[in-house]
Amino acid sequence: MNMMAQITAPERQLSRTEVAGLVALAARRVPPLWPLASAIATNPLAGFEHLPFAEAVASAARQFGAAATLPLDHWRNWLAAGRVDQAALRSAAVTRLGGIYRASAPVAAGLSRLDLLLARLLTMPSPAAAPPRRLADDAALIAKWCAAFFDRGQAAVPMPHRELGLYRAVLALLPHDRAFTALAGPAGRRLLLAVPRDPLAAVAEGLAVLDVPGGEISEWLAGLVARLPGWAGHIRWRSEHADPELSAGAPATMADLLALWLLLARAGVLSPAPAAPDTRPMPAALAAHCGLDLARLGPDRQVMVEEVARLDDATLGQLFMAAAEQTYLEGLVPQLERAITPPQASRPAAQLVFCIDVRSEPFRRALEAEGPYETLGYAGFFGLPIALRRDGAPHRERLLPVLLAPQHDLAEAPLPGHEAQAARLAAAQATGRHAASLFATAKQGPATAFATAEATGPLAAVLMAGRTLAPRLARRLQARLAPPREEALAPALHHHDPARTPFSLAEQVGYAATLFRLTGLPAQTARLVVLTGHGGAAVNNPYAAALDCGACGGHPGGANARVLAAMLNTPEVRAGLAAQGLALPAESWFLAAEHNTTTDAVTLFDRDAVPSSHLADLAQLESALARAGATNRARRARLLGRTPDALISAACDWAEVRPEWGLASNAAFVVGPRWWSRDVDLAGRAFLHSYDWQTDPDGAALATILTAPMVVAQWINCQYLFSTLDNQAYGSGDKTTQNVLGGIGVIQGNGGDLRIGLPRQSLFDDAGTPFHLPQRLLTVVLAPPDRVARVVAASPILGQLFGKGWVRLVVVDPATGQARRWRDDSEAAPEGTLPHEIVWTQETA
Amino acid sequence: MMTGTDPIRLPTHRLKKIEIVVHAADQGLVEDLLKAAGVGGWTIIRDVAGMGHGGFHQGKTIFNDASGLVMFVGVAGAAAIGEVARGLARMFEQRAGVTFLSDVEVIRSDYFTPGAEAG
Repeated sequence: MNMMAQITAPERQLSRTEVAGLVALAARRVPPLWPLASAIATNPLAGFEHLPFAEAVASAARQFGAAATLPLDHWRNWLAAGRVDQAALRSAAVTRLGGIYRASAPVAAGLSRLDLLLARLLTMPSPAAAPPRRLADDAALIAKWCAAFFDRGQAAVPMPHRELGLYRAVLALLPHDRAFTALAGPAGRRLLLAVPRDPLAAVAEGLAVLDVPGGEISEWLAGLVARLPGWAGHIRWRSEHADPELSAGAPATMADLLALWLLLARAGVLSPAPAAPDTRPMPAALAAHCGLDLARLGPDRQVMVEEVARLDDATLGQLFMAAAEQTYLEGLVPQLERAITPPQASRPAAQLVFCIDVRSEPFRRALEAEGPYETLGYAGFFGLPIALRRDGAPHRERLLPVLLAPQHDLAEAPLPGHEAQAARLAAAQATGRHAASLFATAKQGPATAFATAEATGPLAAVLMAGRTLAPRLARRLQARLAPPREEALAPALHHHDPARTPFSLAEQVGYAATLFRLTGLPAQTARLVVLTGHGGAAVNNPYAAALDCGACGGHPGGANARVLAAMLNTPEVRAGLAAQGLALPAESWFLAAEHNTTTDAVTLFDRDAVPSSHLADLAQLESALARAGATNRARRARLLGRTPDALISAACDWAEVRPEWGLASNAAFVVGPRWWSRDVDLAGRAFLHSYDWQTDPDGAALATILTAPMVVAQWINCQYLFSTLDNQAYGSGDKTTQNVLGGIGVIQGNGGDLRIGLPRQSLFDDAGTPFHLPQRLLTVVLAPPDRVARVVAASPILGQLFGKGWVRLVVVDPATGQARRWRDDSEAAPEGTLPHEIVWTQETA
Repeated sequence: MMTGTDPIRLPTHRLKKIEIVVHAADQGLVEDLLKAAGVGGWTIIRDVAGMGHGGFHQGKTIFNDASGLVMFVGVAGAAAIGEVARGLARMFEQRAGVTFLSDVEVIRSDYFTPGAEAG
């Protein structure tokens, strides 16, 4: 490939459309990156999901310059602590060596191939984690301009020419950029005058000039996209998921970003792709570690030593991970196999539908212990594809999984009888916004900055002292200034303008019925049914939204719960449900609530509307919720190494870097009725989706559960997994050195790529030990195996996730209680079985 | 562009039609191609199902817009549709999908030129 700066365009080049197709394909190398305000977990390796898991990890490590495993010492510690079973590791090692016959072949007296591999796994010194890499000059230049272009109102002086688009705006300013001149020299400056102004044409011309072979273009472009996965992901979010108003006036596509990369490539200043260091030991060192002299072994034996020495740390890490997964599976699945007998049916005092989030499970368990309460798991957006414009907010919030586009736009409206309260709230909010805007303007103005600091400094000092020394008192004082929002406003199910009704009656009945169809909730509901969304609580925390509900687009789920509860209390909707065979008892009342996962407090909404006949039931339930909250708080406090009371302070402490563990330690996705998992302590590690195979003869509900909630769970699982594996490349690094950038993300220090993934404090304890054990999601379904097989076979999404080993699937047969594991495509098929036939767990254990 | 006469004697214009069936997850890829080729508008039929080399493809599931298949129907001049087809040929090297090209006659040719309202 010719890397010299060539200014004239060659004759044959791709058309704009061909380039558009290639650019769109290359863009898929990185997942979209949502801004902090609606943090959505994604798999940083989404662009590699067509590959088998191990191969994808290795390929991505090369592409992103990332580690493919945690340092082995962490795995060895987990082995010592019993989180990884010795026998499971040994079994994984034997499989890797090609079976027990090859593994036990002697290398020397009393030493087999397996012993060599176990020595590498358990005792040979292994390299520590690589130090953070410095961003190359070319990437730093593009990252700098991306930060300027994509700023959303934080900069005092916005970048000029943004309306021209990213590529053209940067082209217009590069002649004045000393960093560009230093990097690309006079030839680079001349190139600025000659390259096409249209990004697609610029990419086409660049590819032709650089003579990139036709068959390699897509991969070559993808390699460029992967050099700045944060900014590339931001562009994907803007192009594919953001409301157009958010990018109005500053258009940018992946072609813009690639045109900038092509410019640097044509200038001949593209830095070499990152190379992973070779961490493999010399065969002689391995032999010496095992007390052998390699030179004195015969040629055949030397080959055996070399074979084990050639395995890289990534492979060793994969063996540990496979063993950890098997250890977890063998701990969980037998308990579920034994629990297939349904209990005697009895009507609970209340039913509470929680989000599938792993943080719901221990709370549900604590509540179930408090009385005759039945709990269910459902996607936390409660099946409502809605966007909500909150009163006074400039933009709507998408309160739904990113797999869906909003179908209904809702607005907040004052609750009947609370109009004055709503007006006071609006006034307080407006005052706050104006004050913040005035302060920001004064702080950044060259003439006013010092005066602002002098004038507001003493007040800021008092506020700072209050927030630092008495965060809970500061929070209480702040709360007194404005009435609680949820008491004054609610998402309006019925608009005052009949022409703008957000939902038709048929739609309301449909959404209400879906709750029953997907979860198996029987029509004979309890007197109280509480739809419980959830959200986290944190201040001064850029990652606060990552603690909210993923199914609600990284927002708290209370609004969705309120909307569905209101629908289910509407007589016309009840009549519509009855017509579908879902005749609910007239005495059932639906209530919305929100579980605060940081404090374990549960807020009940719209209590005023609860019939007086149900107030006694409600009082008992509230008392049970408070006791369950205390139980769960105590459990979580142990994991965080604090007192339960400290968790409440953490929610309003602006110096808190870890208000909760979030979804760390997530490991399983359990699909079945609650009674099945109720006696199994899932330890806050399982997503729980309620499902009754008996009410789903065609598997449609199961297909929905596996292709949507499970996919979201897999994204979360992969985000935690890879952010732990390499927190620099796939996570966002240490919170204490992060800077929030333009309302869209964080960077480390004062520049570089927009960071993806989770911060170090979400995954590691203060001593640097991983709290999250990286392992792939284990999905366990209680349903007839042939029905599950049909659902998987009909879905390319599931075929890929299970077939390529991104998620492990175990099906428990409700008739026999026997568990079977889905075999991934890379596993050897036992003779006589079909490629996708489900095999017995025991055969592969 | 040729002009013909349809059976009910309306003046019509001959254009090209392209139909594209892809996985719903690849909808954005096709939209990028259509925009780059200058196709002014297109129709998307969501949630299509059918039989293919890989067996039967189910429709979408209710909570995932990116599941199942989608079908695009676009009409434009031969040059623009040819461009789309060329881009698709590249795309189909890596992604699954089928496309059909055919001659069509339309009543309002201006409706299918770039810059016109999408149909």
